[in-house]
This record gives sequence, structure tokens and C-alpha cells, in this order.
Amino acid sequence: MAARSLEYVMVKPLPARVTAAAVAALLAVAGCSSPTTSSGGAGDAGTLVVATAGEPDTLNPVLNYGVDGASLIFDGLVARDAGNRLVPALARDLPTVSADGRTVTAKLREGVLFHDGTPLTAQDVVFTYRAVLDPKVDSTLRSDLDMLASVTAPDPATVVFTLKHPYAPFLQRLALGIVPAKAFAGQDVNKAEFNRRPVGTGPYRVTAWTPGDRLVLAAYDRHWGGRPKNPGVVVAFVADDNVRAQRMRAGEFDAAELAPKLATGFDGQGGYRVQRVPTADYRGVMLPMGNPVTGDLAIRRALNTAVDRQAMVTGVLGGAGEPAFGPVPPSSEFAEPSIVGRAAADPAAATATLDAAGWRPGPDGIRARGGRQAAFTLMYPATDSLRKELALAVTADAKKIGIRVTPEGLTWDAITPRMKTDALVMGYGTPYDPDFVSYKLFGSAFAGQGFFNPGSYRSAVADRALQQGRDSADPAVRRAAYATFQQQLAADVPWVFLTYLQHTYVVKDTVAGVTPRVEPHEHDVANSLWWNVHTWTKRP
Amino acid sequence: MTDLARPPATTPARTHPPTRVRAGRLGAGVAVGVLAAAVAACLLAPLLWPLDQSAVDLARTRLAPSPDHLAGTDDLGRDVALRSLYGLRVSLLVGAVAAGVATVVGGLVGAVAGTLGGRLDRALMRVVDTVAALPHLLLGIFVVAMLRPGLGAVIASIGLTHWLSTARIVRSELLSLRTRPFVDAAISGGASRTRVLTRHLLPHVLPRLALATTLMVPHAVWHETALSFLGLGLPPHLASIGNMINDGQRSLLTGAWWASIVPGLLLVAVTLALAVLTGRWRDRLDPRVRAELHL
Amino acid sequence: MTAATAGRRRLAGAGAVVRRRLLVAVPVLAATSMGMFALGAASPIDPAQQYAGAAVFTTSEENLAQIRANWGVDDPLPVQYARWIGNLLRGDLGWSTSRHEPVTSVLAARAGWTLLLVGTALALVLVASVLLGTLAAYRRGGWFDRALRAAAYAVQSMPVFWIGLAAIAVFALALGWLPAGGLTDITATGTDPADVARHLVLPVTVLAISQAPWFVLFVRDAVAESLRDDHVLAARARGLPGRTVLFGHALRTALLPFLTLVGAHLPELVGGAVLVETVFSLPGLGAVTVAAALGADFPLLAATTLATAVVVLAANLATDLAYAAADPRVRLDD
Repeated sequence: MAARSLEYVMVKPLPARVTAAAVAALLAVAGCSSPTTSSGGAGDAGTLVVATAGEPDTLNPVLNYGVDGASLIFDGLVARDAGNRLVPALARDLPTVSADGRTVTAKLREGVLFHDGTPLTAQDVVFTYRAVLDPKVDSTLRSDLDMLASVTAPDPATVVFTLKHPYAPFLQRLALGIVPAKAFAGQDVNKAEFNRRPVGTGPYRVTAWTPGDRLVLAAYDRHWGGRPKNPGVVVAFVADDNVRAQRMRAGEFDAAELAPKLATGFDGQGGYRVQRVPTADYRGVMLPMGNPVTGDLAIRRALNTAVDRQAMVTGVLGGAGEPAFGPVPPSSEFAEPSIVGRAAADPAAATATLDAAGWRPGPDGIRARGGRQAAFTLMYPATDSLRKELALAVTADAKKIGIRVTPEGLTWDAITPRMKTDALVMGYGTPYDPDFVSYKLFGSAFAGQGFFNPGSYRSAVADRALQQGRDSADPAVRRAAYATFQQQLAADVPWVFLTYLQHTYVVKDTVAGVTPRVEPHEHDVANSLWWNVHTWTKRP
Repeated sequence: MTDLARPPATTPARTHPPTRVRAGRLGAGVAVGVLAAAVAACLLAPLLWPLDQSAVDLARTRLAPSPDHLAGTDDLGRDVALRSLYGLRVSLLVGAVAAGVATVVGGLVGAVAGTLGGRLDRALMRVVDTVAALPHLLLGIFVVAMLRPGLGAVIASIGLTHWLSTARIVRSELLSLRTRPFVDAAISGGASRTRVLTRHLLPHVLPRLALATTLMVPHAVWHETALSFLGLGLPPHLASIGNMINDGQRSLLTGAWWASIVPGLLLVAVTLALAVLTGRWRDRLDPRVRAELHL
Repeated sequence: MTAATAGRRRLAGAGAVVRRRLLVAVPVLAATSMGMFALGAASPIDPAQQYAGAAVFTTSEENLAQIRANWGVDDPLPVQYARWIGNLLRGDLGWSTSRHEPVTSVLAARAGWTLLLVGTALALVLVASVLLGTLAAYRRGGWFDRALRAAAYAVQSMPVFWIGLAAIAVFALALGWLPAGGLTDITATGTDPADVARHLVLPVTVLAISQAPWFVLFVRDAVAESLRDDHVLAARARGLPGRTVLFGHALRTALLPFLTLVGAHLPELVGGAVLVETVFSLPGLGAVTVAAALGADFPLLAATTLATAVVVLAANLATDLAYAAADPRVRLDD
């Protein structure tokens, strides 16, 4: 016994030594993997720091980065101004459309240089669009450019797009960032190094990207539109809403996107201002025609009048939104004013609709007709707390008029196969053209095809109007067509549109030059409040 | 790997509990009180105050605690106190069921390994070591992702990640019992293997198993909370402690602290009470089992 | 004979043991990766839909099918697995569909930070728990012991992300002492060690605190136990001073089993790190692993799982060897 205890005493204090060595080794490993960054604009006084939740997967426009422009690193043939009107960018003037609507010609601006100093040519534009169309390239953008037959460059300063059929809003698709063809020579576009260290013509060049942390951009002095007014921009990626709010409060960011309720905490607080930016981003309940309850017009109309949109805007969105009655945002020139209804709930009208259609209250308060209860399931993506809250609000409103809604939070893979028969809280929307989303979402040709028209809504009137809006280049004809379309939707109620969101940002008072414009659903590095960050300045 | 479950032969087995201070009594008393109150409230809540899980009242959001709403209301105007009670019900139920699943899985593996021994034993313990080398949470996330988030997935996720310690305890207990005189006596007396197992070994193992299961309940509840925090837990509109803390986090910064503090405190109080009681129970066991039970 | 020569003699067989362990580890890891792929095949998640993100609403079914075909994810499972193994043997861990980059570069960019976080937290928790646990054991039942145990139980009952949010609220927001998240100052251009260290204080401490109860309680119990061991009692009877007995005798006895259990507790630490990385928005492996699980990104998932398993197995082997070197009762050929 004594001998053994002696041995214990002799044992070296291993743990401390081992762990110290381990920590040293770890530090070395971590040190090796730290990104080596060249000196850029970041770090200088005047560099702007903005924070967002959404981090792009890649920085290649061909693979869906900033396809609607304002991508900071790239320029498209066209860009959009503060009113979302098209203005020429890499194209010298807005591209011209032939009389038959099938040929679009763009003349390139002269003297545009990529960040690496090489000049932009028509071949780069052709390469960009051909890459999108190439089946070997994993681009989801191909679906949006399905009208494009070919792209050619008759001379180094001219690009000609040939369409399969006339497509009125085609110029809206030309905001896609142009990549240099040379950078991809002999490479797989999907796996090119370019996707993480891109080279564009935009106002900023990439100095470093640490995924999960930040994107560091430095002003590009030779930008064709002039040198940006600040030395650089850092985009911080902070996925968690609360953490982002806390770090904004700690003063780390000059601007950050925050959830509306978190942003209200900054209202009236010195040093900050809250920007509530109108969007084309709507939320609504998709009511499938394949379900015997939601397929009934009376139920759909009753729900449409029973939901309290005003309460949702104040209660769920913290005031950052407006009631929605259709898929065309009120800010659009195509919005039809006649479809706007009451923002508050109208349970009396809703019950009258149900009574007239023969849905009678049962003993448990739930209405029924012909032995069928007015009950259905409302799915929502489980990770989306906004859609969850809207689903619960709809459930509560429906209960008041005797319709039983069962909310169910699911993952998308569980939702997808059930969309033909179960209602779903959905959302999307772009401010650029009413054709963009609605053509596929409400066209009967796309009924039941994945996320295109999942509820199988079919209306000959709506189909005709959507087609006319797409074919005709005459703005008056288009306006009339989309008015018809919106009225038909309001009559058929395939969706109960609930609210348009406002994206909320908190900005430090020291930042000048912020010009909000109507935003689409997708906004992260590109297309957020900082779409024109190259004109922002910061007081020290 | 030098098996944790294989006790060094000379470890002194102490059967007497370490001397405890008087203050421990008080702690235990409080713990029993807290647990009893929580269990009673959970059992009685549905009878006294029925709750519509999907009911919201957007006109009464984020009210501070008052006689009407003892713990205020949340972002959607739901009563926090009532939802916390229901949440505790769900979380404890999920925790208990999941711990039960884990115990059954672990107990079976441990029993097979401990009684049959030999090559099978070594193989099974290798499996245990492999699973132990994977982080519980990552494995749990993986299981949930495979099965899609939901009640069943959460229980499966907990059950499949928490069975290891039970397996080791049961196995080592059986291995050490096999060498004890009364087992030898039973075997030489002609008792069958099943009979030895059920009549002689099981009664010795069961208390340990029960303790391991109880100790696992708080762990299971935390696992559920962590999954919910990552958005992989129970359906988000259902009142569960994890969901409520997750929902309430946002209100924390806007001043409505009660929406996440109240369910959080309730969770801490109940798991703490459980831990104190099982801690005292564990202290009565010998040290090598204790090490395993620290989980 | 001295302890040193005895230790050397016992470790003479270590090389063979390591070789044998490797022989066992390879099939174990192969089985794990195969299991991962089998589960992946059973997964209902469509990686192409995950890849498309919000654009899935405007992407046609043919478009998605083409992307799946480009990736070969619709190939039969054995084909995919064989391809993966073949690439692995050539040092190519595959292509991450959720991160859009080679798995190796995901690991290279992120694993270091996770290791740093876990490693420093582990070092901190070891030192602190040995100190606190020993002190508590020495005055067993005293106010310090009771307070420590109460604190340990309380901390054990709190979810780690909860502690993290509270720490941010207090130390970053209310007091403004430390940054609330991130790896470096947001405008920093490189990774300055001092800057990184300042940013890691809160995450490391939170992770250490959340894991501390288990270690503290174990050390306290083990030291308390060994204080009653014969050799410790003998040392005390010989009139050695209290501190020498405590740290020289009792603690050393207790540390041996502790060492082994540290290895067993590593996975728990990694799980905690996932949550801590989320709360403090650190660019470690945690967030990508969650995204990989949700996006059915099996090359990345298999790689991170295997990498973790390898680290843990290696750590276990190391502690085993250390244990064997220290404790004459353990034989490696066991």
C-alpha cells in the first residue's frame, strides 16, 4: 500500500501540461486558418458597417447572387433608381426592343473596367447569360429566363438577346450582374474559386469574405459611375435576431436590419433612427381548391372578410406593415385600388356569407354543411416565427365565425406534398413587374406544379389577363389586364392576402445618404436599405 | 479504451453515504415541496383552466403581470402563467417518456452485454464507445432532421442519444454481480440463466436504473429546449418550455421580460429540485456508479 | 523501483496498442460514415430545394431536377458511397451542397475556431474545477462547499444559450466591457490575436461555466473520497501539512479517473459549442453543421461527424495512455 501511494506522489501533474500543449496547438491551428487579408478600405474611418441575417451562399450572380441588381460588387446592363425605375448601367442606354418584341439589343457603355483592370466586352455579357442557361450550371435563375432563346455579340460593344416569345418585362431581367468570362476559362462555374472571391465592375471590390462572419468590401476607385463616397463597407452576418439587436445596441453597426418588434426598442432613442421600408413582400393564406372546405367559395370569401388585417399589422408586425388585398403592392403603378377592402375584421359580413351558403353552426360552434364540418389544416414553416404568428391570428379570427382551423408547424419537405389539400401561409413578391411571380403562382397552366400555383387555382379570366400583360408592350393595355387579374383574384379568393411587410432597419444618426426604396422579398447584401451605400457618408 | 464501465478491481466500495450537513435537509424539503407543487399544478391545470393552444388575442399583447394575468401576456396576447404550466407538462412528459425510451434501450443493451459477455459484449461496448464519441446534440439534430421536427422526433432524438450511460451502468453492475457469492450459489444450485437474471440480478440493478432514469429527465428537458432553440423542437405554436423561452427571447430586449423569464425560472426550479433529490439519492451509491451518473 | 521506470515499462506496449486501436477505429469510422449515408438516403429532404432557398418559389421542377442530376444525388446509395470513399482516399472530402464550396475548405476555415473555443474552454474548466472542487472537498459541508454545490446544480439547470444571452445582456450591453459577438472587431481587416482573445472571453467563459458543474462535482466527490483513502490517511497521520496532503496526495489520486472522464465528456462540450457559436455568431463548425443537417448536405455532415469522432477517439486514446502511464493498476493490453 505504501509503495503504491509513493508512486502516486511521483506522478507528474499531467493534465495541466497536456492541456497547455493542446491549447498552444489549437492556437496554432486557428492561426493558420485565419484569412490573410490585403489592406483594403476597411478599417479606415468612414467605413460603414451594416448587419443582416441573410448571408449569400455564393457571390456569383449566375448562381443567384443579387439577381435583381444592387449587388454592390456587380453591375447589370440596367439598374434601378430610388423609385425602382430602370436606368442604364453597363448598357449605354436602356436596351431597345424590336417591333415583334422578340429581339432586344443593348449597346455597352465604353471604358468600363472590372476590378482586376480588364475591360468589359460584350463577350462577358454573353458568357454570363449563357452560363445561366447552361444545364450543367446549378442556377435556379434559369427558370426566370425561360423565355430567352439565345444571346449573341455581333460586335464587342453590342449584345443581342433573342426571345422565344414576346415578353414585355424582359428589360427587368437585365439587372443581373455581369461576370468576366476570362475568370471562368476552363473552370466549372459551380465550383470556381470566383464564387467566393468574385471580380465585378461594381462600386465595391471584395477584400475578404469570412462565411458566417462578415464580407469586407473596399471602394473601387475606377468605377464607371465615380468613386464611392466612403472608403468601404463591411457586411456583418448575424443570423440571430436578438444577437443582432444586442450588437446594434452595443454600437457595433451603422445600420442593421431588425425584426419590427426589436426595432421599436430604438424608436425615440438618441443616436438612432428607425427606417420602415415599404416592400412588395406579402404574406397570405393559400387556400387549395383540392380541399372540400377551402375549395368552397363561401368559406374563402368569409375568411377573407373575417381576418383582422389591422390587428395583424399592429399586433404581429409591430406596426411595420400594411394590410394586403392582392399580389400587386400598393406602391406599384399596376395596383388596382378597387380591390382594397376593410382593414379591420367584419365578422357580421362573414357570418352572413356562410349563412347564405348553408354553413350552419353545429353544437360545438363549428359550422357544418351536409355533414361536413367547416374545418381545415393551416400549415406554416415551423422555423418562421412571423408565419407562425399569422397562422395563429388567422386561426383565432376563423374561430369567431365558426370555422375551425388547425395550425400545423412543419418543415418544407413535409409541407410540399400536402399543398394540394392543406392551406398554407405563404409569402413572396417583387416590386418590379406584376408578371414576375403572379404568372406562375396563379396561372392554371402551372396548377399543382411544386410551388407554382400549389392550390391549383384555375380561372380563364385570370389566365387571359396574365397572358395579355406578358405579351403586350403597351403600358395602358398592361395596366388594364392586371386590373382585371386583380379583380378576378379578389372575387375568387384563392389566397387570403393578409399583410405587406415593411422591412425595418435601425440606422445611426451619423449616417447620411440613406434613401429607402420599395424592397422585394429577398434582400441581404444585395437589395437592402444599403442598395445605394456608395452614396452614403458617415460623420465621425 | 480503458472502459469506464469496467471498475478498477481495487476501488474501495463505500456503502455509507458521506456525512451530510443539516442544511441539506432543508434543501431536500424545499425540493420535495417544489416538485409536489409542480406535479399537482400540472395535473390539475387542464381541469381548472383549459387552454386553447392556438388561441391568440392581438388586442392584449405584452401586458405586464397583473392579477388578471399573473405572469403577464406574451407577444400574441397569451397568458404566460398558464402556458408555462402547460409547457412544463409537455416538457416533463417529453422528458419522462424520452428518458424511459433511453432506459429501455440502454437497459437492453447493457443486459445483453453484461449477461452474455464475451465477444458480443466487446462488440456492443465498442458501439457504445462510438456513439459516445459523437456529440449528443449533433446526433440529436441529425435524428430530428431525418424524422422531421415533431413530438416523435424529439423523443427519438433524446432516446437515441441518452441510452449510453444506462447501458454502461447495467452492464458493469451485472458484471460485478456475476462474481458475487449469492449468484454463484444460485447458479450452482441449478437455477437457469433467465431465473438468475430475473430473480437475483434484476432486483439489484433496478434501483440504479430508476435513479439513472430520473437523473436523465432534466437532461431530456434540456435537450428538448436546445432543439427548440435551434428551431427543431416541438411544433412552435405548442406551449413547451423550450418554445416559450425561444419565443420570449425577443421580448426580453423590448422590455417584456416575463415572457421568457417565467418559463425559464419554472424549468430551473423543477430541474433543480429533481437534481437535489436525485443528488442525495446518488450520494448513497458507491462512487464508481456515481461517476457514471454524473452524466 | 521508481515510478518513472515503472511507467516506461508499462508504456513499452503503447505502440502496439495504438496500432491495434487504429485497426479497430477504421471499421468503426467506416461504419459510422456508412450509417450517415444510409440515414441520408432515407431523408425526406430535397437538397436541391434547400439549395434554391427562397428562389425555390420561382424555380421550375425541371430546373431542380437538372441540379440534382448535376450533383448525382439521385444515384443509388452504394454508388454515392463508393464515390465518396474513392474521393476520400484521394484526399478529397467532396463538395458541400449547402456551403457551395469544397468540404475541405469549409473545415479549414472553421474547424480551427471551434477547436480554439472548445480547447480554451476545456482548459479553463479543468483548471477551475480542479481548484474549486478540491477546496470544496477539503472543507466538505462548509459554506464554500454548500455554495459551490448549489451553484453547480443551479447552473446545470440552465440552458447554455440562456446563460449566453444573459452574459451578453450584462457584460456587453449593460456594462459595455466586452463585445457581444463576432470573432474580431467588425472593421478589423485581419485576425489580430489580441482582438480575437477579447472576443472569445465571453463565449469561452459561458461554455466553460455551462460545462463546469459536471467537472466540479466530480472533482469534489472524488477528492472527498480519496481524502479517506488509506495512503492519504497515512500521510496525514505522519503529520504532513494539510495543503501537502490535499494537493499532493488526495488530489493526485482523484485526478486519475478524472482524466479518463474528460475524454468521455468531450462530445458534450462540442454540443455546447454549437449553441455558444450560435449565440455569439462565431464562424465555427456549429452553424454549418446544423445547416448541413437541415439541408441534407451529406458530404459535409459526414466529414464533420467523422472529424469530431476522430478527435474524440484520439483524445480518449491519449487520456488512456496518460492514465496507464500514471496508474500501475491499469494494463494497456487489457
